[in-house]
Amino acid sequence: MEDRPLDESELVARAKRGQLDAYEEIVRRHQTIAFRTAWVITGSAAEAEEAAQDAFMKAHAALPRFRKDAPVRPWLLTIVANEARNRARAAGRRERLALRVAEERRPGGAVPSPEAALLDSEQREGLLVAVSRLSETDRRAIACRYFLELTEAETAAALGCARGTVKSRLSRALGRLREQMEVAGA
Amino acid sequence: MPELERMLTQLGRELDYPKTPDLAGTVAARLRELGSQAAPAAPTARARRLPRLLPPAGLRRSLALALIALLVLAGTVFAAVPGVRDAVLEFFGLRGATVERREMLPEVPRVRPLRLGERVSLAEASKSLSFTPLVPATLGPPDAVYVRRGVPGGEVSLAYKPRPGLPEARSTKLGLLLGEFRGDLAPEYIGKVAPQTTKIERLRVDGARAIWIEGAPHFFFYRAPGSAYGVTERSLRLAANVLLLEGGRMLVRLEGAFDRERAVVIARSLR
Repeated sequence: MEDRPLDESELVARAKRGQLDAYEEIVRRHQTIAFRTAWVITGSAAEAEEAAQDAFMKAHAALPRFRKDAPVRPWLLTIVANEARNRARAAGRRERLALRVAEERRPGGAVPSPEAALLDSEQREGLLVAVSRLSETDRRAIACRYFLELTEAETAAALGCARGTVKSRLSRALGRLREQMEVAGA
Repeated sequence: MPELERMLTQLGRELDYPKTPDLAGTVAARLRELGSQAAPAAPTARARRLPRLLPPAGLRRSLALALIALLVLAGTVFAAVPGVRDAVLEFFGLRGATVERREMLPEVPRVRPLRLGERVSLAEASKSLSFTPLVPATLGPPDAVYVRRGVPGGEVSLAYKPRPGLPEARSTKLGLLLGEFRGDLAPEYIGKVAPQTTKIERLRVDGARAIWIEGAPHFFFYRAPGSAYGVTERSLRLAANVLLLEGGRMLVRLEGAFDRERAVVIARSLR
């Protein structure tokens, strides 16, 4: 009887041996970040669901080639991002990424935690407007790196570009945001 | 972390993301259906062949790609209660299947895997069913065979990959999906609901009663065994052109992107 969560390398080892429950647990642990990454790339929840689902199927098929002690998340996110980008490419278009603040964070909504105080409503709206004015490319870079809190390498995988490109894209996007925030605050 | 980056990270935590679907459950179900309990490192011959027929992103997905309405909605729309019956414009029936033309169809459903059951060989299928599967002589053996035992007498699905004369259907990515079950044991097992833009035709194939459904995709579902009017959420999907054929005790269903003449030729060659 196990009363502690299995660490990921043990789950991977079990999944490699064909234990479906172990793979299901791996998917459960990463499904939110995988789905959101696919959503940022495709701009569509339905496409993201299909992309993430198919990516997890492909990852299962690729398990025999996965090194047991390698980190799972970047590997999974790379497969998810590839699937999502292929879908967006095949569709010939991407939905515009619709970013909204959750209801409970809006003025008048309940304030659930002290973190909410870190951004006042004016800052939040101003920043969201500024992000929405960025180009799609820059917005997706910002969304991956800061909103989803992906690492630089994961962001590069998600966007299908080199890490250097991520750095320069983020630097450009941050510069534009600063300009906009300054103009708005002036 | 510089102020702007910290603000962006905080904003990210406050965003309204689409609800994460139960990917773990869906993926596990798909893998179980593929018979992947075996270690992925040592796939069986069957497991190796399967991805070619049902690759994760292609055919498998296509078989899987079914537009599914919410259970509550399905129950409400399809339940054969008098109030809802008012919305039925036409009704067609065979032993084993019902087809209704309705004014209103369910709303855009969610994507879910289509379940054809357990993959087996044709010989294994014959042993586990209460009938011997009919195979179209004009096409020869199928590329894959699936069996579902939940329905009285069992149900078999024969999958044929696209080929000349059998173009790929969007609903299944197959050339032909042929389903067979005992219509006499499960008289309302298959349900179909079609919009006004779908052509529904009664016809005879060598004397046997049949229905041809063509045009705008229609909804297809299985009624849960033991429940005359229940519709299982997972069983509802959109379908391509379909020929339903009442052959003796059997109800046969041919789905594909082919026309009526081709469907009839295939049906006539069933042995």
